[in-house]
Amino acid sequence: MNMQIPAIIACKLTRLALRLMGRGGTALPGKVALRICPNLLGYLAKNVKTVVITGTNGKTTSARIVEQAFIQTGKSYFANKSGANLITGITAEFAAHSTIFGRPKCEYAVIECDEAATKAIVRQLRPSLVLVTNIFRDQLDRYGEVAHTLENIRIGLSAAPEATLCLNADCSLTASLAAELPNRTVFFGVDVPIYKNRVSEVSDAPYCIRCKSEYEYDYVTYAHLGGYRCPKCGYSRPKPRVSVTRILSQTADSSRIEITADGASHTADISLPGGFNIYNAVGAFTALTEFGFSASEALSALGGFECAFGRMEKFDFGLSPIRMILVKNPAGCNQVLNFLTNLDGDAVFVICLNDNYADGTDISWIWDVNFEVLLGMGESLKKVLVSGIRADDMALRLIYAGIPDSMLEVVYDYDELIERMASSETPVFVMPTYTAMLDLRRRLSEKFGVSNFWE
Amino acid sequence: MELKICHLYPDALNLYGDQGNIICIRRRLTARGIEAAVTGVRVGEKCDLTQFDMFFIGGGQDFEQEVLLSDLAAGRAADIRAAVEDGKTFLTICGGYQMMGSHYLTHDGVRCDFIGAMDLYTEGRSERMIGNMLFRCTGENSGSLVVGFENHSGRTYLGPGCTPLGTVICGRGNNGEDGTEGARYKNAFGSYSHGPILPKNPAFADFLLKTALERRYGSVSLEPLDDKYELAAHEYMLGRLAQ
Repeated sequence: MNMQIPAIIACKLTRLALRLMGRGGTALPGKVALRICPNLLGYLAKNVKTVVITGTNGKTTSARIVEQAFIQTGKSYFANKSGANLITGITAEFAAHSTIFGRPKCEYAVIECDEAATKAIVRQLRPSLVLVTNIFRDQLDRYGEVAHTLENIRIGLSAAPEATLCLNADCSLTASLAAELPNRTVFFGVDVPIYKNRVSEVSDAPYCIRCKSEYEYDYVTYAHLGGYRCPKCGYSRPKPRVSVTRILSQTADSSRIEITADGASHTADISLPGGFNIYNAVGAFTALTEFGFSASEALSALGGFECAFGRMEKFDFGLSPIRMILVKNPAGCNQVLNFLTNLDGDAVFVICLNDNYADGTDISWIWDVNFEVLLGMGESLKKVLVSGIRADDMALRLIYAGIPDSMLEVVYDYDELIERMASSETPVFVMPTYTAMLDLRRRLSEKFGVSNFWE
Repeated sequence: MELKICHLYPDALNLYGDQGNIICIRRRLTARGIEAAVTGVRVGEKCDLTQFDMFFIGGGQDFEQEVLLSDLAAGRAADIRAAVEDGKTFLTICGGYQMMGSHYLTHDGVRCDFIGAMDLYTEGRSERMIGNMLFRCTGENSGSLVVGFENHSGRTYLGPGCTPLGTVICGRGNNGEDGTEGARYKNAFGSYSHGPILPKNPAFADFLLKTALERRYGSVSLEPLDDKYELAAHEYMLGRLAQ
């Protein structure tokens, strides 16, 4: 029996009901639809040209840049905006952008896909292009080890042999996918070191993915990313087709880089700071030009996109600027610290650590983050406030990093925390885990009318 | 006084924040004016293990664990066994703990020989045991409560040659069947508890340090520290798991 139409209707109705109640869930409508028709996504996606973005870090920002090019060129597209990157959320987005008969209302879709869910999702989406940003250890209780994540992505991609793959050449794990798959593959990478002072980090992939010998590096950009080669079997960083060839300048709000593709060099302004966003930019640039956008269209997307929800997002409800930067795993958090501690000027840091399912229930990763770098900020770090469900563990970690007792404060109550942020005379940088960010925003929305994430 | 500490395989066994244990060991020693010299010994690196008082081995990814087998076979396993027999203090966590046993049996029946320093072995299963955990150490192991987080698919079974470190109150422990958690043989300790285990379990941390100090210096008493932050983290999880 053909269950697609009832499933689409149920999905749309559930979504509408949630909206009327003032709630923004995308999981429930998708769940309802999939219960009625388990292969609904494949049916809805059949006639939509889709770009999929997956990987551990940088999915959302990369997707926003790609999306920006669709906006600026006036293309008919939709995207899964709200961090709804599992099969339920993606199905709901497709249903919302189709008629009740399942005919697509848009020609294109830009879909961020959870790396563990690629296995189930890519098979149904049959995307034209897949961008894999990187693979890091992330929420080990959910994803398991990096080899497992890599395998999930490989299985997912193997169901879409017609898709063009854009792979990060600097990530030895991601780049290894090319030899495993028949797809047309384009590599991107960063040819030069990014940071003058790089935090020391634990590598998530020190040993060759093929023969388990230790890699040698010509240079490291951050974590295990850079110019690796295996001295034993010869597996090495493939030469990227699209490269960042120079870092021209980096500020608190943006970066200027030189991107070289097929021999032509372009100066690119990225409207977000930080080395990790340089990777997001070159990855998105590669995806866009492979998808058929011109280099100048891609460049204007890099400079024009709006920062995603909680990715260096700026709020102005306080005396001083307040920026929010989602943290979720050691590599990402180290990059955020790398960036923040290299800024000039005084700062107050707020760290909110939750251990709900979406955050990862195991918070031991905070001990793999180099919080010791905060000491290097000296006098310019004015205060560190900690909050969230696991505030006590976070405080202990910071004390063990050498942060003086006098500089640290545990503020359990979010209203009090927000009060403290608003009244701070120094710029505030808030680093919440995912559900802590949702909680904070909910309070901010009640207090100051900051928009909710589904809006 | 001083302790010479060996962090084995920091390059390969470094998952789950276990290096927090090294930070904690260093901190709790230096706070008491005891010198802490930590040496990381990497895979393939030659090193005389007899010089150390204390050893730490953390957990890692299965992928990297395989890298270690050749290093162990090239003489390291024998050195570790000798250090254990010599009464040196070992803290081994998760994958490091499993490695101290005689072997690992994968779920498809492949046998992997390990160090054989402790009378225990591990069987791999497909279902992982993941979550916050709470156990009480047995009387001779400080008797203290320990909170942590476990994430393992291996089931560890103890032989008569070693005793459990403690009894599971919340969580699964060694194998989810017999209520035991961790193991002790001489002064070698193993546990499945990440967290990392030492920072927020200061009583257990001090017990371990005392064990290592006493082997070298005879009877030692450790002056108490201000454990405000340590105990806040400890008690938070205690309160949550006791409900």
